[in-house]
Amino acid sequence: MSVPAVIQGIYDSGVAEWMRHSLKAMPFVEAAHVLAIAVVFGSILVVDLRLLGVPNDRRPVTVVSHEMLRLTWGAFIVAVITGALMFAPNAITYFGNTAFRFKMLTLLAAGINMLVFQFSTARSMAQWNLDPRPPVAARTAAMLSIVLWIAVIFLGRWIGFTKGYDFAVPEDIQFDFPQ
Amino acid sequence: MLEFAKWLGTTPVSVAIQSSTWLTPLLQAIHILMIGLVFVSMLMIALRVLGLARTDETFDATWQRFAPWMWRALLVMVLTGFVLIIGEPYREAGALSFWLKMALIAVAVLSVSGLGRTLAGRTGNFAGGPRAAALAIIMIWIAIIFLGRAIAYDTEVWGAWHLGAPS
Repeated sequence: MSVPAVIQGIYDSGVAEWMRHSLKAMPFVEAAHVLAIAVVFGSILVVDLRLLGVPNDRRPVTVVSHEMLRLTWGAFIVAVITGALMFAPNAITYFGNTAFRFKMLTLLAAGINMLVFQFSTARSMAQWNLDPRPPVAARTAAMLSIVLWIAVIFLGRWIGFTKGYDFAVPEDIQFDFPQ
Repeated sequence: MLEFAKWLGTTPVSVAIQSSTWLTPLLQAIHILMIGLVFVSMLMIALRVLGLARTDETFDATWQRFAPWMWRALLVMVLTGFVLIIGEPYREAGALSFWLKMALIAVAVLSVSGLGRTLAGRTGNFAGGPRAAALAIIMIWIAIIFLGRAIAYDTEVWGAWHLGAPS
């Protein structure tokens, strides 16, 4: 199955159709997406700042990262689900949108950065777990992480200003107040 | 208020913001980043009170770690929000979501600073009152974030309660 066919399939799906026709679904889905992104960014930042030695305390890196782990992943799952619900009703346009493509690439880069940290840098964590200022590899990963997540949020906001719609905006909707 | 908003929308500074193609998305992105800082800083303080995080340190330590970030990010959030309002005064003034959001921000700021002052110096875990307050503060901030996004969809969300002309 080709990529355009998959995108078309997502666009034609029942959930996409429902999102296109529901008046109230989009604001709630978007709000949940903002909330989830806020938690993902904020909680990752707490860990990144600890890795950068800000503040310069001796709270173990393992403790800081462990207590943020569930919060980050829980919020990330919500962000992916709500993001998919925003993508589906407008899939063809999103897929062709440059800001959207860069956002996906930046997310991928953030993921790779996290995996490299997890499977390479963090293996020696026992040696610097209590250091106020972890080694340069850890600090580099933290800086990269902050920059990439800020970029994800900027690109995400840019999508909304560049995407347009690939369906007719409904005009025959009756609001429940007298005209 | 709607008349004032209409007039504000015609002032040179508002027109300048409206006609810029990059200023609004830039300010909105910064606004969202600051929401992340404010919400998570508040959340860590609230979770400490609820006994769900950082129970190995005192309330004061958690407060001193997160409150400065929370207040500074809140300041940047308010400043970016202020410029965004000037750029779209009529849409904001006509949105019930906007006025509810402003009221809840006032409640949230007073509650968080009240919680910080009340619990300062207290050690150990907290019971009923502080826990209920912490939970309420989390719920208020979630409501603020929802209302913020709902401003753009005020008619869809509130129907006849929308304050401006039907859009």
